Amino acid sequence: MHIGRLQLFYFKNHNEQHLQFCNGINCITGPNGSGKTNILDAVYYLANTKSFFNGIDQQLIKHGQEFFSIHGFFENDTTTEILVNFGKSKKTLKKNGKVYSRLIDHIGIIQTVFITPYDISLVLEGSEERRRFLDFTISQTDRSYLEQLSLYKKLLDQRNAFLKQAEGRPVDPILLETFDDRMAKAGQIIFEKRRDFIAEFTSYFQELYRFLSGDAEHPTLLYVSELHEKPLLDILFLSREKDRVLQRTGSGIHKDDLEFLLSDFPLKKYGSQGQIKSYVIALKLAQYKYFLEKTGKKPILLLDDIFEKIDGNRAGKLMELVARDYFGQIIITDTHADRVKEHLEGLAVDKKYFALEMPVNTNAAPAQNSSEDPD
Amino acid sequence: MQFTSGIVEQAVEALSGFPGIGKRSALRMVMYLLNRPEHEVVNLADSILKIKTELKLCRECGNVSDHELCNVCSNPSRNAKIICVVEDFSDQMSIESTAQFHGLYHVLGGLISPMDGIGPDQLYIQALLDRIAKNAPEEIIMAFSATVEGDTTMFYLAKKLRELPVRISCISRGIAIGGEIGYADEITLGRSIANRTEYKV
Repeated sequence: MHIGRLQLFYFKNHNEQHLQFCNGINCITGPNGSGKTNILDAVYYLANTKSFFNGIDQQLIKHGQEFFSIHGFFENDTTTEILVNFGKSKKTLKKNGKVYSRLIDHIGIIQTVFITPYDISLVLEGSEERRRFLDFTISQTDRSYLEQLSLYKKLLDQRNAFLKQAEGRPVDPILLETFDDRMAKAGQIIFEKRRDFIAEFTSYFQELYRFLSGDAEHPTLLYVSELHEKPLLDILFLSREKDRVLQRTGSGIHKDDLEFLLSDFPLKKYGSQGQIKSYVIALKLAQYKYFLEKTGKKPILLLDDIFEKIDGNRAGKLMELVARDYFGQIIITDTHADRVKEHLEGLAVDKKYFALEMPVNTNAAPAQNSSEDPD
Repeated sequence: MQFTSGIVEQAVEALSGFPGIGKRSALRMVMYLLNRPEHEVVNLADSILKIKTELKLCRECGNVSDHELCNVCSNPSRNAKIICVVEDFSDQMSIESTAQFHGLYHVLGGLISPMDGIGPDQLYIQALLDRIAKNAPEEIIMAFSATVEGDTTMFYLAKKLRELPVRISCISRGIAIGGEIGYADEITLGRSIANRTEYKV
């Protein structure tokens, strides 16, 4: 599936924006602050019902406006029209004119892989980022994972609220048992799915890391979870006393982590800048490969500022994959039109260039489209 | 909104406190009331007032009632051996209007949701236990919404009641009448398959 037409109204710094993408490489160029990344984010939003960068929709509305909308036409054998509207604290998502009653039902219809300089937070930040990566990737092709995860989170919130209200006093053991039984059931399923996923994902990842870095290091992904030791039901039971005192649930799959190792050493401590970059891009490309294997369809690849933030070597490797027809539709952003053209020049794929200008506050600043023939 | 009358403003403020009613709708209601004869408006005010002054909760089932006992509990033709537990009286009314249930009800007054500050002690759960001990019914049917809170309450009640000599059941969940399998979500469909029922002709 690829995106054809995209229309934005008041999304982030854009006034009104109309773009017609090609099913090849689309390059969006323009100065910093012209809203290049926001266009990638808009495409991501249509696929995933939220922004890649900011979960608070209210903050995505252009300053001084009351709503934003993103309207996209996705082409496969047929056209799928996705429209999202947010205003007055209310979000509506429509597919072919029909409103979704639950946003969760939209997940998995359109796959995107977003490679951005912010990906580095996967390595540098806490375990939440890595769990989010796991959850996002698995959810895209496994609906029941998403359902169990959302059930688990609701139960966890309820259990925590319950422990907090007790303020450390003894709690109703039957109610605690009620939460534990149900969380254990959902959590166990999530654990098994994460474990199986990581086993499959690792092989794609290792292959891509070697390709990108060209080094002899052996990268491995280590799934860290208390559930390797014993079932979640036992873990919750044994930590009841501690949970009661701490007034929150200290154990469970919400504490899982994914450890990044390079030849058995933690990447964060021992990896070089270059190795970390290769690692992160390899993770994202493995995500691409995983979606492709599971769905048989090429995801939309969103490349944010890669020629600037990634060194030429790795960017070159990426372009090598492009040349091999590894990807489907790609949307790239860059501050320098000349640099992108140089990278893409020799590639025999459809290309289209968009030059953004700094948005003017009162008037719409539409993109100027220009096409270039593959040869 | 700019008001020329403090009375109108006050009425709009009060009416717009209703769920789903905004200022604009509240103003329309005020205009409507303004054009009705006085006795009608007095009747309306009176019936609103009675909700707080005269309405009682049935001492047996906790349902809303004009008397000490509601008209279900005081009806001798109802089957006192089966008690259907519901979240609130609006759910009780929905089940009653199916005309498929002839037992008694028990209204919990909510569902367990610690996030909303509702634990078992805030609900009429102890009253249910007392009622079971006193009247020894044969079956308890749990009829709750299929939400996380509904399921939590169901689990909790089932655990609370498991030692008692009473059969515990819950309403079945699955494909809606007239619903197509292709449009059913996976959880519902999965549950329908797992909890399938024997089909007799």
